[in-house]
Amino acid sequence: MGQRELVGMLLTAVALLLLFYELFVVGFFSGGVGVAKKVTLDAVLISAGFLLILLGPWLWLGEVPVAVRKFVEARTGRSG
Amino acid sequence: MHAIIFLGLVLAIYAVAYFLYGRELLERRVVKADPNRPTPAVEKFDGIDYVPANKYVLYGHHFASIAGAGPIIGPALALAWGWFLPLLWVLFGNIFIGAVHDYTSMMASVRQGGLSIMSISEGVMGRRARYIFLVYVWAALILVLAAFISVASTTFESVPTAATLAIVFMPLSLLFGIMVYKFGIDVRIATIVTLVLVFLGLLYSFRVPVHLSYEGWVVVLALYSILAAALPVWYLLQPRDYLNAYVLWIFVGLALVAPLFLPFMEITGPAITSFVAKGAVIGAPRGTPAAGMDIAYFWPMVPLTIACGALSGFHSVVASGTTSKQLANELDALLVGYGGMLTEGAVSSLAVILPAALFWDFAAAAQKAGIPLETLKAAGIDVEKTKNILAFGAADRFYNAYALAQATAWSKLFGLDFVGLFKGFKTFAAWALTAFVLTTLDTANRLARFAWTELMDWLRPVNRSAYRVITNRFVASIIPIALASVLAYPTVEGVGRAYLVIWPAFAGTNQLLAALALLTATLWVYAVLRVRGPVSLLMLIPAAFLWITVTLALALWVLLILPNVPFLYQIGAGSLVVLTLGLDLLLIYLFVRGLLKARSI
Repeated sequence: MGQRELVGMLLTAVALLLLFYELFVVGFFSGGVGVAKKVTLDAVLISAGFLLILLGPWLWLGEVPVAVRKFVEARTGRSG
Repeated sequence: MHAIIFLGLVLAIYAVAYFLYGRELLERRVVKADPNRPTPAVEKFDGIDYVPANKYVLYGHHFASIAGAGPIIGPALALAWGWFLPLLWVLFGNIFIGAVHDYTSMMASVRQGGLSIMSISEGVMGRRARYIFLVYVWAALILVLAAFISVASTTFESVPTAATLAIVFMPLSLLFGIMVYKFGIDVRIATIVTLVLVFLGLLYSFRVPVHLSYEGWVVVLALYSILAAALPVWYLLQPRDYLNAYVLWIFVGLALVAPLFLPFMEITGPAITSFVAKGAVIGAPRGTPAAGMDIAYFWPMVPLTIACGALSGFHSVVASGTTSKQLANELDALLVGYGGMLTEGAVSSLAVILPAALFWDFAAAAQKAGIPLETLKAAGIDVEKTKNILAFGAADRFYNAYALAQATAWSKLFGLDFVGLFKGFKTFAAWALTAFVLTTLDTANRLARFAWTELMDWLRPVNRSAYRVITNRFVASIIPIALASVLAYPTVEGVGRAYLVIWPAFAGTNQLLAALALLTATLWVYAVLRVRGPVSLLMLIPAAFLWITVTLALALWVLLILPNVPFLYQIGAGSLVVLTLGLDLLLIYLFVRGLLKARSI
């Protein structure tokens, strides 16, 4: 596993942890995340999870999918 | 008029337009689409932006991208003129301008190797036109981003359950993409699994609202927009928009179904309140002289309120930007381009204007629908204080009217609790609005990046390393969003959220862009495809009418409204509008010159 994939995997794990903790632990027991019209630590953490989950899997798994590459090869007759 | 008549008339008009105007005229007689001609998605495949997509996936992406807040907020604002005039503008704009503009922009781009409509202008109007067009589009996209960040942040702050759902939806979209693309799981199975999880997320969101301040949401959404615009299309944009399309279909489908269960419910709103409304409708802050003056004439001011629901220049940038680079077959373009615009029109006419017309007068509507006033009060609408739909702000008009129509229909059909249904549909409506807005946010930023990259191409031969830095996809995504966030962040005294000031500027520059893009597409059809005679006039006349209307409206906005808005918006939104008006005049000169040149060949 390369450095990029490792960073991606770590970011994905952190993002999932943040989302899970805020939505299913904090949110479930207190009936919501954050306080209306305020910036709180919980709101910052769930926002960080929301943004990191966009980045993590892309770094971890993010090359061009095989299915798309095969379609292009079939239509153009060229590879890569 | 009964609900069923309204619904039947609108659907019949759209069906006739799609098959006669779209397929017979545009696809077969003007563009002559050929399924065997390779598209840029295939010929220039790069795995980032040029990636062929299934036509329904692409329809989902295109529809979700073009359908921002415009088809909802615009008609809701325009209700100040009654329900009939906005409906008329939506139908006329859809069929004769918007859908034609979207389809021809997309096909022009497909035939020109995926070039944007701005670069296509170079071929028919000269090199200067391309750069002018690119600057225009880049400036207009900053206003789009500013208005939509503000709308989404306002919605998340006022309906926090919608924020929860948006947060849950994003990783589920990625999960769907990874299931399909990485692990080769059947699309149908992946769709069902993900939609079930989304539905569970909807139910869960009622228990766990996510609260954050308006300013906090502006920052989060700006960061989201930068990331989402820079990521490969197959990773987030394609799967997210594909799933979004289901949500949006359910949203539009419910809007179609509800009137079927209330077929003989009569409209309670006035067809026309007046041809002239107060200046506040077009962004004059409360307390300023312009806010109370009768200056918002339906013509020519309507394009300053209703944007994407009738027509939108932003669509030409999407159609010739992200969509044309993903089109796998030329015949897919009619559904994606023409059909996408009509579907967006249906959002305005059937999901916003029809419910608002039915439930305009709350007491009268409650009586006709057999809802006790106490029940309405328990749902949050007190008819003593809030007599009609115009008492609400634009976004609230939409949530409340949509939720009232749905709750009335489903409570009558199944005997379910009206108040519970009302609250559930209100969250769903708010989430649907933000689903529209979020997709538009990152697509708009991606398109701003494309425009920026094209605009900077003069630098490549001069200094290649500087060009690479300045057009880096993260750098090119950060610049427009940073400028937009400065406009979206403050709360404006006398108005409230920033979008209410930015909206007329965004809507006007956007409609003017539509006129310019349609003129460019008309010239492309005339000069490159060599289509002559009445068919070309069918494109030219609506484009010229639109150009006159919007140029006049924006000039009046600069004269009457701009002096009343705070300084930040005078130099921010105001300077962008003045700049685009100047570029507009240059472009129209180049258009006329190009037309005369093409005629002489």
